[in-house]
Amino acid sequence: MAQAHVIIREVSKCFGKTKVLDTISLEIEKGSFTTLLGPSGCGKTTLLRTIAGFYDVEQGEIFIGEKKVNDVPSHLRNAVMVFQDYALFPHMNIRENITYGLRIRKMPQDEIEKKLETTAGYLDIKNLLDRTPGEISGGQQQRVALARALVMEPEVLLLDEPLSNLDAKLRVSIRAELRQLQQRLKITTIYVTHDQAEALAMSDTIAIMKGGKIMQVGSPSDVYYRPDNAFVASFVGTVNFIDGTVRSVSDEGVEVETGGTTITVRERQPAGKPAAHPPLPGEKITLSIRPESIRIVEHPAPAAAFRDENVFRGTIKDYIFEGSSIRYWGEALGKELLIDVFNPVENALHTGDVWFRIDPERIHVIPQSIT
Amino acid sequence: MKHRVRERPLSLLIFFIVFCLLAFVVYPIVEVFFYPKANDFVSVFHNARYMRTALNSLMMLVLSTLSATLIGFVFAYTVTRTDVPGRKAFKFITLLPLFSPPFMVSFSYIMMFGRNGLITKGLLGLDVNIFGWHGLWLAQTIAFFPVAFLVMEGVLQSISPMLEYAGRNLGANGFTLFRTVTFPLARPGVAGAALLVAIQVLADFGNPIMISGGFSVLATEAWMRVEGWADIAGAAVLSIMLLVPSLVLFFVQRYWVGRKSYVTVTGKMAQVNIQKTGKVMKWVLFTVCAAVSLLVLLVYVGLIVGAFVNGWGYDWTFTTRYITEIATRSKELVHSLSYSAIAGFSSALFSMTAAFLVSRKKFPGRRFVDFTCMLPAALPGIFLGIGYSIGFTRPPVDLYGTATIIILSMIFWNISTGYQTGIGAFQQISPSFSEAASNLGAGSLRIFREIEIPLIKGPFFSSFIMSFIRAITTLSVIVFLSTSKNAVATFSIMNLVSDGFYGKAAALTCVLLVISFGTIGLAKLIMGKQVQFFKV
Repeated sequence: MAQAHVIIREVSKCFGKTKVLDTISLEIEKGSFTTLLGPSGCGKTTLLRTIAGFYDVEQGEIFIGEKKVNDVPSHLRNAVMVFQDYALFPHMNIRENITYGLRIRKMPQDEIEKKLETTAGYLDIKNLLDRTPGEISGGQQQRVALARALVMEPEVLLLDEPLSNLDAKLRVSIRAELRQLQQRLKITTIYVTHDQAEALAMSDTIAIMKGGKIMQVGSPSDVYYRPDNAFVASFVGTVNFIDGTVRSVSDEGVEVETGGTTITVRERQPAGKPAAHPPLPGEKITLSIRPESIRIVEHPAPAAAFRDENVFRGTIKDYIFEGSSIRYWGEALGKELLIDVFNPVENALHTGDVWFRIDPERIHVIPQSIT
Repeated sequence: MKHRVRERPLSLLIFFIVFCLLAFVVYPIVEVFFYPKANDFVSVFHNARYMRTALNSLMMLVLSTLSATLIGFVFAYTVTRTDVPGRKAFKFITLLPLFSPPFMVSFSYIMMFGRNGLITKGLLGLDVNIFGWHGLWLAQTIAFFPVAFLVMEGVLQSISPMLEYAGRNLGANGFTLFRTVTFPLARPGVAGAALLVAIQVLADFGNPIMISGGFSVLATEAWMRVEGWADIAGAAVLSIMLLVPSLVLFFVQRYWVGRKSYVTVTGKMAQVNIQKTGKVMKWVLFTVCAAVSLLVLLVYVGLIVGAFVNGWGYDWTFTTRYITEIATRSKELVHSLSYSAIAGFSSALFSMTAAFLVSRKKFPGRRFVDFTCMLPAALPGIFLGIGYSIGFTRPPVDLYGTATIIILSMIFWNISTGYQTGIGAFQQISPSFSEAASNLGAGSLRIFREIEIPLIKGPFFSSFIMSFIRAITTLSVIVFLSTSKNAVATFSIMNLVSDGFYGKAAALTCVLLVISFGTIGLAKLIMGKQVQFFKV
């Protein structure tokens, strides 16, 4: 593993009687983009603020670089934060806002000017410098807030849901821009969001949190394709769950029995990453199947075309058209299933009785002992 | 949505409101200006006594405003932004003077710190003369810093703590943070608070009449002209000299400072903890707040002790004779209670009705009603009192020495607070309620009665209580209108103090305080959170 830049070791925190952080441990690589993802109240913002130094660490340790920062005040940690509502000072213009931290450091004027020039250039806000925060748009405020943090050349950049106040289109474009900027500057970034699409799009590593605990840490594809538990599977993306019992494990795949039918699973693991919990015969498990891994066929193909496995009779109940895809609500195996059909052909909707085929390579097995 | 008025009863109501405002607000003001002759105005500049009085007023304006605003800010900062122990107690103590007659501070300090003072003479054995500008400065500071506190508490609370976090995160802490972030954000609020205090200091009559001795200010000098020389023209000129700066301060406060607020710039308020205050700072703030709180509490201690001892300064034995005498045989107290209750209720009703019309209806003279309802807030009590005494004590309208003139002055002096509360309340009630009712066939007055009134019960009740308390504790407005026939408690306290009957005066003040605090307590008990006082 590359060098860990921020280390969080068994950190716990309570507000009154509620435990908001419960023995959290996390290592963040230097230069990486790490996202803390979770529903509201999961403790992600609290963890970020604790790293920033706004909250005391009650239990555990936090290291930035080699240094333990538990007792280091916020401004000496060199971990600068971009706030959710930007927290731009309304009594200062944009120039004064951006250079505020440098002026507090008593940096010489010409050096401040130079840094301001560079940072404002990066973020394309040079023309806003003489305005006040009340006079610029939300997207511009967002850039200014980012500039105010970046100009400090922080070791660690902390972002607290910085895109949540922007409209949907702007959010997507700034998302890409922010990622590119981070890649260019190679700055260790910790990002908090409740938006799983944002997390998947931007991160090197995602830490998914719930109830003050970390549920899984991994790359976007790890958490999407190989969720450790049902919570992660359902929080990141959409998923169908089918409970069953492992009948046999062989080179041919895993045979899982559910309600009298057998489903074959041949999940592929990426090189060097063995399955976290290989299924054992007799074990109670949950199958996690993404809606796009199920295909709808009007008539079952001859056995020769594809091995006639995981094909089940069912019906289509309802659908919604989403442009690039159609989402169907179907029923099979005595369960309701969600199916996404991408690149749909116009006027070729599936209705009534159909067959569903579940791709055996795209089924993920979650042991029930974990959930 | 505002509808043009077409209904007959509503037109009558509007006519009534406009008529009242013309007769009882505009007319007395105009009378004050027209009563003196041109000569009286010109002679001001040759009259050394007037000029000195004006300078005295200016000096007190600057001194008391500065000290009251400073202390108010320290309190507001301590209560909203620090973890100094006892913040709740400080806040509570600060609110007490707001429900008390303003002259009470001076009266009590004379008893506590004067030549025969319980503390200065009794405890410390000093011979201190509290009469004069320094005594007035102390009394006004204590009497008016709560006003500054209240305004600035609101302002500081509305500054997002996130901004301070951001400042801290970027390297500012302790005093640097205060200097670069917190204070600049609070500055418009501080200016607004200072202006409000300044208006009160300028108009203050009760404190200088009791404590300033030979040091006269405009308000007291106007009274002296009438009392000593029966020179009503001179009093009118002096009260105009008082009015002009008051108006200026008032309009600057409302229309200039109001617009410069930063309060609404950042959106969501984050719930975050207060950061720990530095140890030294914490104890400095605590000491200042504790010392000032002690001074506030001493006011009440002095009054209570004064009401229960036989002879202040020479006979410290316990007695209840003053209290029994007041409770059983004071017609002034009966006057105070009945006049204030009638005035408070009428004032609340009038101002809520005016607020309803202005915020919901379109009619000719709407702007006039709006402006005139706010105007009394800018008038020094003395000025309005002289206006009533000139306007309503000669034929055709001779109300000299009647209850009516006192009640009318109390009603119209208090409409501004009620009106403001009302406008605020109507802004919060969605007009779609009344649109729905109108859509279902209800007429304007029916909507007012059945939809709006139930919704504004809380604000109405608050403004009734506030008007009642302001009426029962006022001295400046009624001082020119009181005779032996219609005297109220505050007037009689003033006379008792100046004649040296401290025991009876203290007992009467205590009874007023009990009524005032009791009313607040009762209102809170009955209405709970629905009553809110002092939304600044």
